[in-house]
Amino acid sequence: MLRVEHLTKIYPNGTVALKDVSFEVPDGEFLVVIGLSGSGKSTLLRCINRLIEPTEGKIYWNDVDITAASPAQLRQIRRQIGMIFQQFNLVRRSKVITNVLAGRLGYVNPWLSLLGIWPAEERRRALAALERVGIADKAYERADALSGGQQQRVGIARALMQEPRLILADEPVASLDPVLAHSILQYLEELNKEGVTVICSLHFLDLVHRYATRVIALKQGVKVFEGKPQEIDRQRFKEIYGEEAQEVRAASL
Amino acid sequence: MSERKWLLSAFLPGAGQFLGGRRYRGGAILLLWLILVVIVAAYGQPIWWISPILIWLWNIWDAFHLQRLGREASLFLPLLAGLSVLYGIGWQITQIDLRSADMRRALQIVRPMLRPDFVQPRRELNQMWVEILVPCKENPPRAFNKLDGKTAMATPDCARVGEVVIVSVQGLWPNTDTQIWWQTPIGDPKMLGPNESQMLILPTDDNGALSATIRVPTTALVAAPDPSLALPHRVYFDQYRNVGGWELSFNGREVLKGAGVTIAMALMATVLASLFAIPISFLAARNLMGGHPVTFAIYFAVRTFLNVLRSIESLILALIFVVIVGLGPFAGVLALALHSIAALGKLYADVLESIDPGPIEAIRATGANWAQVVRYAVIPQIISPFVAFTIYRWDINVRSATIIGLVGGGGIGYLLVELIRINDMRGVSAVFITIAVIVIALDVLSARIRERLV
Ligand SMILES: Nc1ncnc2c1ncn2[C@@H]1O[C@H](COP(=O)(O)OP(=O)(O)O)[C@@H](O)[C@H]1O
Ligand SMILES: [Mg+2]
Repeated sequence: MLRVEHLTKIYPNGTVALKDVSFEVPDGEFLVVIGLSGSGKSTLLRCINRLIEPTEGKIYWNDVDITAASPAQLRQIRRQIGMIFQQFNLVRRSKVITNVLAGRLGYVNPWLSLLGIWPAEERRRALAALERVGIADKAYERADALSGGQQQRVGIARALMQEPRLILADEPVASLDPVLAHSILQYLEELNKEGVTVICSLHFLDLVHRYATRVIALKQGVKVFEGKPQEIDRQRFKEIYGEEAQEVRAASL
Repeated sequence: MSERKWLLSAFLPGAGQFLGGRRYRGGAILLLWLILVVIVAAYGQPIWWISPILIWLWNIWDAFHLQRLGREASLFLPLLAGLSVLYGIGWQITQIDLRSADMRRALQIVRPMLRPDFVQPRRELNQMWVEILVPCKENPPRAFNKLDGKTAMATPDCARVGEVVIVSVQGLWPNTDTQIWWQTPIGDPKMLGPNESQMLILPTDDNGALSATIRVPTTALVAAPDPSLALPHRVYFDQYRNVGGWELSFNGREVLKGAGVTIAMALMATVLASLFAIPISFLAARNLMGGHPVTFAIYFAVRTFLNVLRSIESLILALIFVVIVGLGPFAGVLALALHSIAALGKLYADVLESIDPGPIEAIRATGANWAQVVRYAVIPQIISPFVAFTIYRWDINVRSATIIGLVGGGGIGYLLVELIRINDMRGVSAVFITIAVIVIALDVLSARIRERLV
């Protein structure tokens, strides 16, 4: 159970990215966050694992206050929260397997990891994760030799290594074409069915309808909608997205 | 009167134009013309006066044009005249003197350079010597020596400086030129040929024997602590013959040694510099230091310091370090290292500023600690460009080390200066070739490595 209470983020330059946002995510949910570009989706996801420090408000993860965690506690929390990014955020010059192993950094002996030494068991786990996303044969290639869809699968494999209880996915398919988008989101759906909570920001209405169990919408940092995906019809979508709605729908077809 | 205003320009350049309403043109013509006259008067030779005279005539023509036809005369002529004067001054102050470019002297230098002194035929030495006492004392030992079937002797057994001695030797190679020379007790070689400035060379006879009349060199006792003390000096007989094959000549060995020193200097300096530049570069990376006013101030100070330091040529630094630590490779290493810290510090910082923050947040999100983030997200991004830039710097430093050698920084550059000083153009040529080979080889090598790293 994740509980966000009165979350506000004001960047040092004065931009108010989130304004008094509150919601709850029960375990096992597939929560989709929608909103225009610049509405604060990325900021919200990054506040949850404190890649960005919230300005005000509380975030509870199973009744532990993330916003009050010490650095060591925070690392303990983070390692249970997998994160997937629009730009994949792989280390492009490193091998695929190294990128995947990095997902395990919160668990292994830090000194050995600094020397680049990984137990055989972890390597097996990494190969299994790659197997699961269907690219075990690319394990020893450089990450930047892979296509976009393959790189995002590496991103998922890295998150899998964390044995996550929660996955934060920040527009995981915005850089991919629609066919690939489904193949990536199906992995998230599968994980969700296994009991992992997923919070995912998405752009396209049809994807929202297909995958979300619940939806919240942001507009200029304010939560403007919370409910079931079926409640979002074209009219609602247009309210949330304003003039751009037509374009977005066209792109999603 | 007013129709003839242009004529005024004949008395004072620019006057016609000025009164005709073109004040700036008139003023400029007068000013520039006066400057030209002053320059010609100060620097010029008589023929240069053509230039102000031409411009003066042009100025009348221009004034006439303006008044009668309403348009300006072309600037081509005055510009040409003015520029020729400037070129003439340049010619004079750079002391161009075509007569000094003397073909004969050039050939004297170039011809030996066509035969670089790098290798020589492999030779074998056949040596014999005899000891003779200088000056004399009571009952001197016999000046006689027997060694490996060779005998050598001198009569008398002792002599004073400038006295005649007959030396003879047997058992050397027959019919072979033999160098005969003198060695003082402290090991100084002295020549025995005419004026004591040439080597005395005589052939042996059919039996491998020769005898010669020599004079005890006038400088034999120059460095002796007590000239009245009788000490044994030696007369050497050296024969050489080819034994087939080639070997490095003396210069060849020195050149290789110098090249090794130069490359090592560059290597030491580069490694030393990168050790300092790596931590400094983090302070000079805006994306790491920009967050807070204090760190930003440090960033700004470090950047400025690097820029200033980088603008000082390593050659200048070498001159300073030669004064501080003395002649030799160490001064060169310090100079190169200091300059390289600035150069590498900036390049490294630029690399750091261009790293992708995405992987960093991704690794942080896994629960990694600070060191793990650096190890898995930062280092993989910077290691290749850092290595590439370091190799590139080493490449540059080898060239600089060569030049720095010229001012006393050791290595092949220093050898070059010494060879030029003693006018050994064959040695100089060997140095040139070696430098060229090293520079080209390193250039290719470093380009290859950098290609693979990018
Ligand atoms: N580091 C930052 N500093 C200042 N403003 C930022 C920063 N990151 C995001 N913003 C601003 O915060 C707002 C929300 O951004 P973001 O969370 O990225 O929205 P989204 O992910 O929905 O596109 C935007 O107006 C953006 O310009
Ligand atoms: Mg975003």
